[in-house]
Amino acid sequence: MAETKSPSVGIRGWQIALLVGILGLIILFYKGLWGNPNFIPPVLVGTQAPEITGPDLYQPKEVSLSQFRGKVVVLNFWASWCLECKLEHQNLLAIQKRFAQNPNFVLLGVNYQDKEDLARQYLQEHGNSFEHVRDVKGRISIDYGVYGVPETFVIDQNGVIRHKQIGPIVGETYTFLVERMIEPLLNGTATTS
Amino acid sequence: MIIELGHFAVITALVLAVLGIVSPIVGLKRRDAVWVGVGRQAVTLNFVLISVGMLAMFYSYLTHDYSVKYVYATSNTKLPIFYKIAGLWGGHEGSLLLWAWVLALFCMMAVHIHWKTQPAVMPYLISMQSTVLTGFLLLILFLSNPFERIFPVPADGRDLNPLLQDPAMVLHPPFLYLGYVGLSIPFSFAMAALFSGRLGEEWIKATQRWTLAAWLFLTIGILMGGYWAYYELGWGGYWGWDPVENAAFMPWLVATAFLHSVMVQEARKMFKVWNLFLIILAFSLSLIGTFLVRSGILSSVHSFAADPGRGVFILAFLSFMLLLSFGTLMLRSGKLKSQIEMDSVISREAIFLFNNLFFLVALITVFTGTLYPLLTEALQFKKVSVGPPYYNTVFMPVALGLVFLMGIGPYIPWRKASAQNLKELLLMPGLIALGGLVLFALAGIRNSYALAGLTVVCFVAAAIFRDFAKISSFWAKREQVSTLQGFLTAYKKNPRRLSGILTHIGVLVMIIGIIFSTIYQTEKVLIMKPGEETGLGAYRIKLIRLYGAEGINWGGQEALFNVYKGETLITQLRPQKRFYTVSQTPTTETAIHQIYMGHVFLTIPEVSPDGTWARVRALHNPLVLWVWYGGGIMGIGVILNMLRKSRIKVSAARPEAAGAEVAVSLSRPAREEVLHRSNRWQTLLNAVWPGRKEV
Repeated sequence: MAETKSPSVGIRGWQIALLVGILGLIILFYKGLWGNPNFIPPVLVGTQAPEITGPDLYQPKEVSLSQFRGKVVVLNFWASWCLECKLEHQNLLAIQKRFAQNPNFVLLGVNYQDKEDLARQYLQEHGNSFEHVRDVKGRISIDYGVYGVPETFVIDQNGVIRHKQIGPIVGETYTFLVERMIEPLLNGTATTS
Repeated sequence: MIIELGHFAVITALVLAVLGIVSPIVGLKRRDAVWVGVGRQAVTLNFVLISVGMLAMFYSYLTHDYSVKYVYATSNTKLPIFYKIAGLWGGHEGSLLLWAWVLALFCMMAVHIHWKTQPAVMPYLISMQSTVLTGFLLLILFLSNPFERIFPVPADGRDLNPLLQDPAMVLHPPFLYLGYVGLSIPFSFAMAALFSGRLGEEWIKATQRWTLAAWLFLTIGILMGGYWAYYELGWGGYWGWDPVENAAFMPWLVATAFLHSVMVQEARKMFKVWNLFLIILAFSLSLIGTFLVRSGILSSVHSFAADPGRGVFILAFLSFMLLLSFGTLMLRSGKLKSQIEMDSVISREAIFLFNNLFFLVALITVFTGTLYPLLTEALQFKKVSVGPPYYNTVFMPVALGLVFLMGIGPYIPWRKASAQNLKELLLMPGLIALGGLVLFALAGIRNSYALAGLTVVCFVAAAIFRDFAKISSFWAKREQVSTLQGFLTAYKKNPRRLSGILTHIGVLVMIIGIIFSTIYQTEKVLIMKPGEETGLGAYRIKLIRLYGAEGINWGGQEALFNVYKGETLITQLRPQKRFYTVSQTPTTETAIHQIYMGHVFLTIPEVSPDGTWARVRALHNPLVLWVWYGGGIMGIGVILNMLRKSRIKVSAARPEAAGAEVAVSLSRPAREEVLHRSNRWQTLLNAVWPGRKEV
């Protein structure tokens, strides 16, 4: 192929970039093969709950987790675009109704990756009876290792995360959460979970 | 016995596929036409042999031979016959066999269609296609063999996944594969062009219809998958940005970009390297998609059995293909320099450039979103998932930009547009779009995405209508006929352009469907007891009663709903919660009532054990059918485009290369041609392999 060589022959920037890209992709895929996509690291359970600060969804005030110290806090991450959140929403309202009389119980919604107006519209449609904090910069979700909504955390009076529920609170999960987690914590009869 | 016959046929096919890689190249090296001929025969035989394998599998399904492990896993005696056949692609092993079969079919077709017109690149094409086929056959025979037997023989099969027992699902995988595999032909042509150094416009012309066909199949496959998700999975939506959906969407995006950018190369001989890059990328993304789906490295609604062994093999094969194809492109790209520079940023080629940039941005968006969880995991960060908001935020502006270009691209002149051109192009559609914007705002549309989307749709529709009116009246005047006949004449004069624009009209229809069915969707999720009712947009639904229901292979509960508009009962709907007994799987059966082009859509995701209440999900999706109608119009546009008569001259008639010899031989009578085949090849090979000179 001894043809006239044009001056541009040689390795150029885009060629190197392409090669690096392909090799990077192959390495990424190779590493990915040994991971389990459905494995969720059991982080945080048994550890001190990270502090939360963020604006309230409705009122111009800041919500923080530390203001609830001494209470049992159920933290529910949700978003208006999340289908499974809608499935559990009635059950969240039921939980709130059930423990509304107990001054030591707090149900706090964390609105995740959402638009403010859409979130309010969602609550207007599906019902709202508890407080919500907006996760404006996604900081809270990162601190709590939330990888998708809905996720629910149960935090005890000492601020320790006692339980993490991934996916909607429906059916048996609801019963478990109410009877085996929240009630024993409130009555002071909880065993380690 | 039959299954062993099939197994043996596929083993033989593997041997022949390896022969198909080697012999054409040896033929070129030794300049011996017989070796190339062997490659050609191997291609034909491979199709026959893999067909035997497919038939053996079908036979086992129909005769309930559960000693075949794969049949046992995906079928059942009670299964309707339709699904017994579809069971073949209901799981991992069988769907790979289908992949290989489609590949063999397309390769045989390509070789027979282009053997005479593109002789110089055929050896490379056969070799390239055989390489891909070898990869898949190795995977089938060594790591996921559908012909494997089990002992003792089970009494009955485990049943096909109930979610797959659906007409759309029977056709969705084959269409996707036709699309994925269809892209392999343009890819092989591009590779052949790179290897042979015949880097002109030939390969693009030869592969236009192949690309269109692959694009069409891919589009149908994606839309069918969307429809299936919509009513069978009970999402109520047709697109969820699931990694596997994305895996099919990414090659589609690149193939679409390619279909547009090839026009620039045809008309202006520009974008040469770019086009090669795009088609290699498109097919690579098909392979990457296969890898993502089969290796189970991403969590998705599409669950295929995950097995790192298979994953490593597919990855090795994928790496080989990526490095081979992009590597060749890198090494050969020095020979490809467009002599023509862009004249102006206001020209059709510039619009195509923007079009390609937008498609590329869209691709990068989807690609990043799909692989982000993998990346964070590999870097030992916390696991994250990327939700629809990410995609929607980035995708909306890109989609709007692309649609806007649709209103300009087809009408702006090549090279450079004058101020007069631009004024003509933008003024009337611009004014109409502005009028539309005011009208939509007055009609109460407040959502900014909806407003922007509809305004852009107005702009493009006006541009298309203006152009149709102009060419119709031009031909009507010239031929002294009615405007409608004038339009038909215009179509006959340039079918390619007009069928392309028909596809654009389909896109507009689809966008209207998407805007209304997502932004103006009404959704209610609540617990209902019999006797209760709830409002749903302009409608009301009332739960009448809940009761047990039963089918051949499932049991479950059904709910009866009345749907009212005002006080009038318009329909009764019966969604179900089913439980399939054999496979122990629950499913949610949707009940849909069509109103105009929209749907009232009901599901009952949960029913209380005592049957006193049900969790109800009720949706009103206005104009949702436009999504698929739009897809249908796009398809008709592409089919018309493919059916048009080719005005391209047989490209081998290029005198400077081997073509002269071939052109002579083409004019000979067929019988004589057979006699001269060997001779002709000899001459041809001498010409395309200029390294050594014959004495």
